[in-house]
Amino acid sequence: MAMRQTPLTCSGHTRPVVDLAFSGITPYGYFLISACKDGKPMLRQGDTGDWIGTFLGHKGAVWGATLNTDATKAATAAADFTAKVWDAVSGDEVLSLAHKHIVKSVSFTQDSSCLLTAGNDKLLRLYDLNNPETAPQEITGHSAAIKKALWCNNDKQILSAAEDKTIRLWDRSSMEVVKTLTFDTTVSSMEYVAEGEILVITYGKTIAFYNALSLELIKTVEASATINSASLHPEKDFFVAGGEDFKLYKFDYSTKEELESYKGHFGPVHCVRFSPDGELYASGSEDGTLRLWQTAVGKTYGLWKCVLPEDLGTENSEQLYSSAPEIKA
Amino acid sequence: MATPVSVIRLPKGPDPNSRGFDPKSPRFLALCRTSISTSTASESDAEELQKEQHARSVLRERFLRCLLAMNNKKVRFHMHEKVEVQATFGASDIDVLNFQVSDLHTPIGVQKEALIRCQDVISFSFDM
Repeated sequence: MAMRQTPLTCSGHTRPVVDLAFSGITPYGYFLISACKDGKPMLRQGDTGDWIGTFLGHKGAVWGATLNTDATKAATAAADFTAKVWDAVSGDEVLSLAHKHIVKSVSFTQDSSCLLTAGNDKLLRLYDLNNPETAPQEITGHSAAIKKALWCNNDKQILSAAEDKTIRLWDRSSMEVVKTLTFDTTVSSMEYVAEGEILVITYGKTIAFYNALSLELIKTVEASATINSASLHPEKDFFVAGGEDFKLYKFDYSTKEELESYKGHFGPVHCVRFSPDGELYASGSEDGTLRLWQTAVGKTYGLWKCVLPEDLGTENSEQLYSSAPEIKA
Repeated sequence: MATPVSVIRLPKGPDPNSRGFDPKSPRFLALCRTSISTSTASESDAEELQKEQHARSVLRERFLRCLLAMNNKKVRFHMHEKVEVQATFGASDIDVLNFQVSDLHTPIGVQKEALIRCQDVISFSFDM
């Protein structure tokens, strides 16, 4: 019997959600942070969407947010010209790093010792979190605002995507550019998958997959609408994408076939990411909500419960909610 | 006709009264380092640990009583960049992130009502 996807809606933000990131799997589960134009990034339990806390302190829209692997630290990039580092357990602000323009992207190294920031000042900055007083190292080269910057190749290299329609690969020690990819249009999103060294890029209606070390193209897939963000499943059997038509799309990575599409958001989808265990993916939208979607629809996981046909109509079923099209928290 | 997947409950939303990060959650209890960390010697000595905890309780209670005593009194706030301002203290929020004050004397005039950000304050003093 076919099951229909029930997305779980996480409300709380009052403006568009522009970025989201998952932590790794910790002894307390995994976590999700969302960046929002309301200036108040939120931390949620990754498998249920339950709100844990709000990081208070930014004085402008938050454009980027990230968690370190064990979810003990968070970093945010904002329009108030600062990037902030937070204690993700207590919610306290630990560091505020002043920049000369809007900060768009933040990324921790695997050992959380260094924070990479990037933004409208066209610079990549590397902050030593063990010596935050010291001035950051700066990498120049982009000729326009940087949208996203990520560590790759075991934190030995950096990938950056900017409004100058390029993606550049930099060497951390030499601080020099190693390779440049040029596009006809600015890339809308970039995701780095460490296991397998794959780079997922979106631009126009295209989702493109590159080898992250050589920047050689692996394959491209065309969607039916302008795509703002895409994410590859950890096992690399699926990828999901979302964009301007408000829908979420799920594709088979090997065959490039569109498998499923879901309506639900009331505005363009700005970001989409798979959870570290691949069991769900989260989407952030212009409509101010985050939604959690099951990878395997109908499976018992998190708040979703698999109900066999013979269980329906028994006393147990009263504890379960059958979805109306709109479920809000 | 496909049946929608059932859910056991909805995701919990934000608490309007607090910024969250529940100090009673297992993760907080296991991972949170207090601002004054427990001395390592006491890890093996339960009695030392108890004395320290008692000291923490005393300090916390003193701080809370201080906030109560300050209500409607003139308080001097010593802030960063050698700034010192005076105001009539109203209240603190639950997380001690902001102080609500009245008649805040600033170099550019008196602000009738204001919020002072606690992280900007180094120390404050008042006459009991």
